[in-house]
Amino acid sequence: MTFDTLTLILLGGVVLGALYALMATGLALVWTTLGIFNFAHGTFIALGAYIAWQVASPEALGGGLLVGALVSVVGMFFIGMAVYYLLIKPFERSADIVVKSVITTLAGATILENLISIAWGPRNKQLSAVLTGDLQFFGLVMSRNEAAAVIVSLVILAALGIFLQRAPLGRAMRAVAQNREAAQLMGIDVVRLYAVAFGLSAALAAIAGVLIGSIRFMNPLMGSDPLMKALIVVIFGGIARFTGPIYAAFIVGLLEAFMTYAVGLYWSPTVLFAIMIVVLVVKPEGLFGKHRKSV
Amino acid sequence: MRYSPSFARSSGLIPTLVALAALALLPLVFDGNYLRHLLVLAFIFAIVASSWDLSLGYGGLFNFSHVALFAVGIYAYGLVAKTLGLSPWLGLVVAGGAAGLVAALITLPIMRLSGIYIILVTIAASQVLYQIVISQSQITGGTSGMVSLPGLELFGYRMSRDGKIGYYYLALAMLVASTILLYRITRSRWGRAIVAMRDHKYYAISRGMSETRTRLFTLTVSAAISGVAGGLYGSYMRVASPDNFGLGLLGLLLSMLLLGGAGTIWGPILAAFFVTIVSEALAEYGAWRNIIMSLLLIVILIFYPGGLWALLQTAREAFDVVRTQAIATLRRRSGKAAREALTGGQERIISTRHGRVAVADGGGNGPALLFIHGNSSAKEAFAEQFKAFRDRYRVISFDLPGHGVSDNADPEQDYSVEAFADVAEDVLQALGVTNPLVFGWSLGGYIAIELAARGYPIRALSVSGTPPLRVVPEDVGKAYDATSHFALASRRFLSPSEVRDFATSTTGPRDRATKHLHRAVMRTDGRARAYTLGKLQIVDWPRQMRFLRAAAVPFAILNGSKDPFLNHQYFRELKLTQWTGEPADVVGAGHAPFLTMPAAFNARLAAFLEAVEKGNSMSQTTDRPTIPE
Amino acid sequence: MTQPLLLDVRGLDGGYEPLQIFRKIDLQLAHGGSVGLFGPNGHGKTTFLRTLSGIIDPWDGDIFFEGVQLNRPGPRGSRRWRNFNYDAVTRRRMDPKSVARAGLIHVPQGNLLFPDMTVAETLSIAPYASSGRASASETLDYVFKLFPRVQERLGSKIRFLSGGERQMVAISVGLMAAPKLLILDEPTLGLSPKLRGELAAAILTIRQSGVPLIVVDQDIAFLESLIDTLYLFDHGRISRRIEKADMPTHEEIMKLMFGEEHR
Repeated sequence: MTFDTLTLILLGGVVLGALYALMATGLALVWTTLGIFNFAHGTFIALGAYIAWQVASPEALGGGLLVGALVSVVGMFFIGMAVYYLLIKPFERSADIVVKSVITTLAGATILENLISIAWGPRNKQLSAVLTGDLQFFGLVMSRNEAAAVIVSLVILAALGIFLQRAPLGRAMRAVAQNREAAQLMGIDVVRLYAVAFGLSAALAAIAGVLIGSIRFMNPLMGSDPLMKALIVVIFGGIARFTGPIYAAFIVGLLEAFMTYAVGLYWSPTVLFAIMIVVLVVKPEGLFGKHRKSV
Repeated sequence: MRYSPSFARSSGLIPTLVALAALALLPLVFDGNYLRHLLVLAFIFAIVASSWDLSLGYGGLFNFSHVALFAVGIYAYGLVAKTLGLSPWLGLVVAGGAAGLVAALITLPIMRLSGIYIILVTIAASQVLYQIVISQSQITGGTSGMVSLPGLELFGYRMSRDGKIGYYYLALAMLVASTILLYRITRSRWGRAIVAMRDHKYYAISRGMSETRTRLFTLTVSAAISGVAGGLYGSYMRVASPDNFGLGLLGLLLSMLLLGGAGTIWGPILAAFFVTIVSEALAEYGAWRNIIMSLLLIVILIFYPGGLWALLQTAREAFDVVRTQAIATLRRRSGKAAREALTGGQERIISTRHGRVAVADGGGNGPALLFIHGNSSAKEAFAEQFKAFRDRYRVISFDLPGHGVSDNADPEQDYSVEAFADVAEDVLQALGVTNPLVFGWSLGGYIAIELAARGYPIRALSVSGTPPLRVVPEDVGKAYDATSHFALASRRFLSPSEVRDFATSTTGPRDRATKHLHRAVMRTDGRARAYTLGKLQIVDWPRQMRFLRAAAVPFAILNGSKDPFLNHQYFRELKLTQWTGEPADVVGAGHAPFLTMPAAFNARLAAFLEAVEKGNSMSQTTDRPTIPE
Repeated sequence: MTQPLLLDVRGLDGGYEPLQIFRKIDLQLAHGGSVGLFGPNGHGKTTFLRTLSGIIDPWDGDIFFEGVQLNRPGPRGSRRWRNFNYDAVTRRRMDPKSVARAGLIHVPQGNLLFPDMTVAETLSIAPYASSGRASASETLDYVFKLFPRVQERLGSKIRFLSGGERQMVAISVGLMAAPKLLILDEPTLGLSPKLRGELAAAILTIRQSGVPLIVVDQDIAFLESLIDTLYLFDHGRISRRIEKADMPTHEEIMKLMFGEEHR
C-alpha cells in the first residue's frame, strides 16, 4: 500500500464518517428521546435531497443550492413532526409501541419512497456541488465539495451538541428521554418535545441528503443503504452519550473505506455487520456507552 | 388453572373444517390458473407468517430475520436441487434444516438482548445473509439470483402440470401440517414456556425454565418451518432471488402477521389470504399499490390493532348477542307455560334500571323469599324450592339480565354484581315486597350479599357456593379450588361441548331435572359472563366483609359438601358469625345442592328460616379466638 | 363570594384500563391546609395521586384546583368496541403539563429523576412548571439552605447520588416549581433512620413555610406533625376522614383499617 492509497482511504473514510455521523445522530436523537427506531429515516434523507433538488436545480425552480438546502431543512423539520403525529403518537399509550412503530415507520417509508418515485421518477439525479475545485494541504488532495460536506457536518453536530447541553429546550429533551414521567410532572410538554425531536432528526436527515446528493447521485432508494450504515453506527457507538455515534461514525467510515480496499466492495458490509453483531454480544450498550439504556 | 380442551371440543373445529373443505374442493370447481397461483402463494405465505408468530406473537421476540430465513430456505433448495443435482424433495428437507441452523446461529448474539435490540440485530443479520448471498455470485448467481430451479415431481408426475394442481394440494397440505404442528407446540409444555418467558420472564426463570433454551427452540422451530416453506416457494417459482432478503418482502409478511393479529395462529393465516389477494387486485396500480397497502396497514394498526382476528371475534360476538337475544325472545313467547309449570309461579316481565327481566312470582301472603341464580343459569334452577316453600312464603326468583328469558343488556352498564343488585331491588319494588329473605347461589350469592351490604333492608341472608371475599383477586385463589371447568365461567364463547362441560360441573349431567339449565347456559349472553366476572375486582368487597362481620342480619352458608369449585377450609377460616358455627353443608351435594339434593337442602333452608323467625338464628355464634399481631 | 378550595376532588374514578383501581374519591383541601393519605400498599394511593397530577386519565369525577377544573368534565366515553384503539381518537382528559404549571406539583414515589443529568441541570429545567410564580434564583437559595447537600453535589450526575440525596433533589425540583400544593408520595421510603429524620425535618420546615402538602407515608406520627386531616385509603376508597383533633394512634388506625383480622 502506497502513501497515496492510504491518504485516499483516509480521506474517503473521513467523508463517509461525517455523513454517517449526521445520519446516525439523527437516528439516535429519535431513539434516545422516544425509545423507538425510525425506519423512515433513510427515506427522510432521500426526500430531503429531492426537495432541495426541486428548489435548487436549474431543471426545476432554479433557486440555487443554498436556498434549496434551507427549504429542504425547514420543510423536513415539519414533515418529520407530521410523521410523528401521524405514525407514532397514536400508539403513545400502547404497551407495544416499539414494534408497532417499527411497522408504521417501515410502511411510512414505503409510502414516501413510492411518492418520490411518482413525483420525480426513478432515474438518478444530482445536486450541484457546494464548491468546485480541489483543496490541497500537506500534500493531500481533496475535492472542495467533500471538504465542505465534512465541515458542514461537523459544524451542525457541534451546534446540536451545544443545543442539547445548554439550551433549556435541549435539556428538556434529554430529561424526557431519561424519564418521561418525571419530565411530565415538571411541566414539560412531552408530546411537543417528541415532535420537535422527530422534526430535528428529519432536518438532520435532510442535510445529510443534500450532502449525499451533491457528492454522489440521488434516487428514491438512496437512503436505504445509509440507513443500514447508520444503524450499525448507532449500535457501535451506543446511545448513552451524544458523542458516541459520532466517534463510531468515523470509525465505521474509516473501516469501510479501508475494507473496501482490502477485502473488496461486496465483503466489506458483511464484515461490518459481523463486527456489529460481535459488539452487541460483548457490549450491548455500545463501544462508548457506559450504561445500557433499557428499551 | 389451565383450560386447554382438545381442538375437537373447541369452537374452532367447525369453521376450520368448512374452510379446509372449501379450499380442497375449490380447484375441482374453478379452473382458473391465476386464482390457483394466488392461493398457492397465499398458502406459502400463511405458513411463513403463522410460524413467524410463534416467535413474534407468542414469544415476544422480534425476530426480523424470519423472512431472510425463508430466503435461506429458497437458496438451500436451489443449491441442493440445482447446483448439487440431488432430489428436490431432499431440497425441501435441507431448506428447513438450513434455516433452522442459521436461526440457531442468530440466536447466539440475541441471547442477552431484548426489545428493539433484537429487532436491530436480526435486521443486521438479514443484511449479512443478503451480503453473503450476493458476494458469492459463482454459487448463488449474485444479484441476479438462481434461475430455472428444478420443480418437484412425484412418481414422475410434475407437480406443475394440470394448472399447478399438484403444487396447490402440496402447499395446502403443508399449510395444514404446519398449522397442526404450531397448534400443538403452542399448547405443549414448550408453548407455555414460550408465553411465560414473554409475560413473566423472571418468574418463569425462577421456576426453572431456561431462557436460552426457550429462545433457541422458538427461533429454530419457527425458522425451520419457514425454511421448508421457502424450499416449496423455490420449487414453485423456480427462482431464488436476493430480493427475498429485502425490506419489501419483510414488510409484506409483517403486514400479514399484524393485519391478522399477533398472538394467534389463525389470524396470520387469514391475513395471508387477504393480503395476497388484495395486493394482487391492486397490481395494476404500480407504485400506488405499495402506497395503498402501506396506508391500509397503518390505518388498521392505528385504529384496530387487533387486526382481522379481532374483527372476526367482534363479528362473532355480535352474532352471539343476536343469537342469545333471539333465543330469549323465542322462549319468552313459546315456553312460558312449561316454565310456569316448573316453578308453579307466575311469569311476568318487569322493567328495571338494567333492562327488562323475567320474574317468577309464587304469590301468596307469606313473607317474601327471593332466590337469585348464578352465572349462566336461570330462575327455574329453584323449581324445587318454589314447590317446597310456596305454602309459607311468597317465593320469588328472576332471570338476571342476559340470562334466561330476560333481555340482553348493555354490557358496560348492566353486567356487574352491582347492577344485578340494582335489578334485585327494582324487582322487589315492582312486586311491592319489603324486607325479604334472600338466598343467592354462586354469583347470585355475591349479588345477595351486595344487596344487603349496601343497606337494602332484608330479614335474612343465605348463600350457597359463594365464598365471601376479603381481598380480590388474592382471596379468589384461596377460596376456590380451581378446576379446569372453572375457567369457563368467564369465557365469552362456549362451544357446544364447553356448554355441556360447564352445565355438568355446575348443575350435574343433563337429565330431566337439569335439562332446562343446560339450555340456559346455551342462551346466556357471553358478555354477561365476561363482564360480570371481569368486574369482580371493583365490587366493594371490604363493605361486604364489614357487613358480614357486623352480623346485623341472620346469615347462613349452605354449601354442597362435594362442591368441586370450593375450598371448604377457606369458609372455616373466615370465622363468620352465622347460623351454624360452620357452613351448614349439604352432605354429598355438588355446586347446586338445592337442585341435586333438594330434600336435604330444603330441610336445611327451612330450619334456618324457622330460626330466623324465632329470632335465634345466631345462637351458635362461633367463638372467635383473638389472633396475636 | 367565598374563596374556592385549593383542591376539590369529587367522585374521582380511575385506574389502568381495563382495571379500575379507585372509585368515588372525595378529597377537599382548603388554602393553607395539608392532608395525609394513609393506607396499605397496593390499595391505589399512588394511582390516585398519578391521576391527580394527570399522568393517567381519570375515568369520571372532577378535580378543581383553586376553583378551576383540571380535567375535562363528565365521564370518560364508552370503550365498548374492545378492539378499537380509542387512544388514537380520544384526547387526553387531563394534561400533566398544565396541572404542573397550575402549581399542583407531584414528587412521585421513588423518584429516579434523570440519571444522566447533573443536579444543576435538573434544577435548571425545574422552573418550566413555575410559570413565573417565583424567581428561580431566590428559590434556589431557599433550596440550598434547606438541603445543603444538594448544593454540595450540584455537579454530580443523578445516578451517582444516594437514595436520600436523590429524594432531596426530587423535593428541591418540586420546590423550584413554586408549588401551590406539593404532593409527596412516600418521601422517606427506604431511607436510613438518620436520613429519614433529616428529610422529615426538612419537610416540616417546608410545611411551616406555608406550602400546603398532600403526603403519603406509613408513619402516622410523622404525618400527624404535618397535616390537618388524615384520609384513610382502603381498597381504592377513602374509608374514613379524620381531623387532627381526633387523630388516633397507630394501633387504633390498624384496627380501623384491618378490623380484628390484622395479621
